[in-house]
Amino acid sequence: MTHVVRPCRIDIEGLDLDRGGRPVLRAVDVSFRPGIVTAVVGPSGAGKTSLLRCMNRLEEPGSGRVLIDGTDARELRPTDLRRRVGMIFQTPVLFEGGVRANLSYGLDHLDGSSLEDALEAAALPASFLERESSALSVGQAQRVCIARALVRSPQALLMDEPTSALDKDASARVESLIRSLGERGLTVIVVTHDLGEAKRVASEAVLVVDGRVAATGSPEEIEDSWPEEAG
Amino acid sequence: MTDIAVVLLLVGIAIFVSWRFRLALEKDFVVASVRAIVQLGVVALVISLVFENLALSVAFVVVMLSVAAFTSSRRLRGVPRAGIIATGAIGAGAVATLAVIFGGRVLDLEPPFIIPIAGMAIGNCMAAVSVAGVRVREEISDKNLEVEARLALGVSAHKALEPYVRRAATVSLIPIIDTTKTVGLVTLPGAFTGMLLGGATPYEAARVQLIVLFMLMGSIAIAGMATAALVTRAFVAEGERIVVPAAR
Repeated sequence: MTHVVRPCRIDIEGLDLDRGGRPVLRAVDVSFRPGIVTAVVGPSGAGKTSLLRCMNRLEEPGSGRVLIDGTDARELRPTDLRRRVGMIFQTPVLFEGGVRANLSYGLDHLDGSSLEDALEAAALPASFLERESSALSVGQAQRVCIARALVRSPQALLMDEPTSALDKDASARVESLIRSLGERGLTVIVVTHDLGEAKRVASEAVLVVDGRVAATGSPEEIEDSWPEEAG
Repeated sequence: MTDIAVVLLLVGIAIFVSWRFRLALEKDFVVASVRAIVQLGVVALVISLVFENLALSVAFVVVMLSVAAFTSSRRLRGVPRAGIIATGAIGAGAVATLAVIFGGRVLDLEPPFIIPIAGMAIGNCMAAVSVAGVRVREEISDKNLEVEARLALGVSAHKALEPYVRRAATVSLIPIIDTTKTVGLVTLPGAFTGMLLGGATPYEAARVQLIVLFMLMGSIAIAGMATAALVTRAFVAEGERIVVPAAR
């Protein structure tokens, strides 16, 4: 696949984040190994999404740091950081215009084959390039969002509950896509509140509870640490 | 004064209609009419004094600008540095057009011209600033997810906000463009009507009206664009992030 450049390692050191005077993340220390799929799991409101957003500086932590291959993320230009560390949101957001315009948004030099490769990596046919964004199903839109991130050749992909807005079939297709991205050597970090999904897509997992890392290991290993009250 | 008393009969009809159809607007009609009489009476008195003195007329323009900036900044609640933005944008629109009108000797730099021309420019810029500023604030707030999706693709905050700035600026400009397009076909605008009522020839009235319309297009465009750009900047935080406007 042409879209996976050298995958990056992401280390989080002593991360604290407050929002409106309320602690969201507390002393988070965790590492995400390059080239594998890691699930960040935990009950709703545990701080999983906030942790993800700190990794590409959509949110600024109060203290602590995020290291991308050993370099403090704050030393990188935010625009460069976000191209290296792409992000997929819970709800797919496509901009006005067609799929082609969405894929090439913000990029000056792109050839048609890059766009087709990105669609292929997102398990979509090249004919989608000519489709209107408004004509896509939610599942298709989410895969176009993934293709849009891949066309930038990211070193890592952050995915925030990427299947939560999708029906069962579309979820299965996106889960399969996440596995294939991992198999192709991209660093993928998937936030999910569903331990079953974590087991299906990830080889490693980080359990976040009340803004702290409660356990790390394989998805099966962290199951015992899952808080009972969270169900 | 008899003529005003006669025209007040029409306000009486409006009050009767409101009472008959239970619109509950009778008090509003009375308050609006009394305010209009008092405000215009005071303004007429002040302007008659100001018309005699260039320095006083400049001071009067500054007062107009201050009131307009204060009014717009209240509309821009939740926007950081709203007062500075409103003053800057209205001031930029008004000063630029006044410089062309008086610097280009389109009209003489005398109080009877300065006051009404500045008043029209400032008043219309104020409306444009309020519309553009509120629109940008609402766009950033409502489309926050879309803005973040753009940022996450590695574009600058300036580039991510571009579509919303454009939309807001366009919305503030549409009224004056439509007014100019349909002038004389849909309504006879204020300056034209006023001059005709004052005894000017239709050609002279048309000439002045065109000066006003073109002046307003320029001043509103400057004020609207400046507002959209400045309000947008106010929501950009360090690290190419967007600070979501607080709930209104």
